Amino acid sequence: MGGGGGGGDGEPEFQIAPMIDVLLVLLIFFMSITSAQVLSIDKEIQLPVAKDAKKKEKDVQNEANINVRWTNGKATILFENNSYDVVEPLVEKLRARHDANAKYRAVIRGDKRLPAIEIQRVMSVIAQAGIDDISFSALNKE
Amino acid sequence: MSEPGKKKHREIETEQLAVGFQIAPMIDVVFVIMLFFMVMVGSVKVERELKSQLPGLAPPSADAPTEMPDEIIVGVEESGAVTLNEEEFDSNRPDKALPDFISTLKRLKQEADNRSAKVIVTIQAEEQATYERVIDVLNALAVAKVANVTFTVGGDEGF
Repeated sequence: MGGGGGGGDGEPEFQIAPMIDVLLVLLIFFMSITSAQVLSIDKEIQLPVAKDAKKKEKDVQNEANINVRWTNGKATILFENNSYDVVEPLVEKLRARHDANAKYRAVIRGDKRLPAIEIQRVMSVIAQAGIDDISFSALNKE
Repeated sequence: MSEPGKKKHREIETEQLAVGFQIAPMIDVVFVIMLFFMVMVGSVKVERELKSQLPGLAPPSADAPTEMPDEIIVGVEESGAVTLNEEEFDSNRPDKALPDFISTLKRLKQEADNRSAKVIVTIQAEEQATYERVIDVLNALAVAKVANVTFTVGGDEGF
């Protein structure tokens, strides 16, 4: 550490090596906290804002992310990049996942412009699949 | 800068440093990258979640309170109006915040906790009420630490 830097004459001197150390640590810190928070959601969905909601748990293996778009006054349910106009195949798929994994839960990523009736339709699909643990996805800010 | 002696010296220095490590540009680049990430941190949107449990499937807990639960009916209208037991709250606020609604919920929760009673909230949304407003209500319930929430739309049986 050089005892605060400087030569033998007591004059303080700028030390480049510790500065680089600090700089790189700060860089890694900011890189990690921003990249960990990058969203991987459907770009066509405008999520609602809930400032006081809990941070989402990252558990891809045990969760079904059900996206609900609202385009031209029509709701579209998407699961794993497939859209479902008829919900029965989706119910079967979710039920099969839940039967294989008891911890399986559903996350509804609905567009904020959706009417409440469409959200209830999705909740009905989840209930029919036997999943009781559901979450509503939201953002921390606009 | 343009003195002949110095120019010669500079050429030699460049040749020597061409294979060496340049610290000054590295610091420049690291500073720029760090500033970029520092600015990005403030604007990053984080995904949050509002948890809910569908009733009927969860097993009853052994330490369930014997007191009758307090049932609260929260209405969400198409216009965005929020009612609690048919009384409208925060009707003159244009923003998403529901301060009066939250404070009333907190008070009701506190009263129920004092009696070791459960608070069960039923959200009755109109069919065309926006999902955004429903989330505002769920957010308010999260602030008031109310966990037992059921959801109905229109005249349907709820969840």
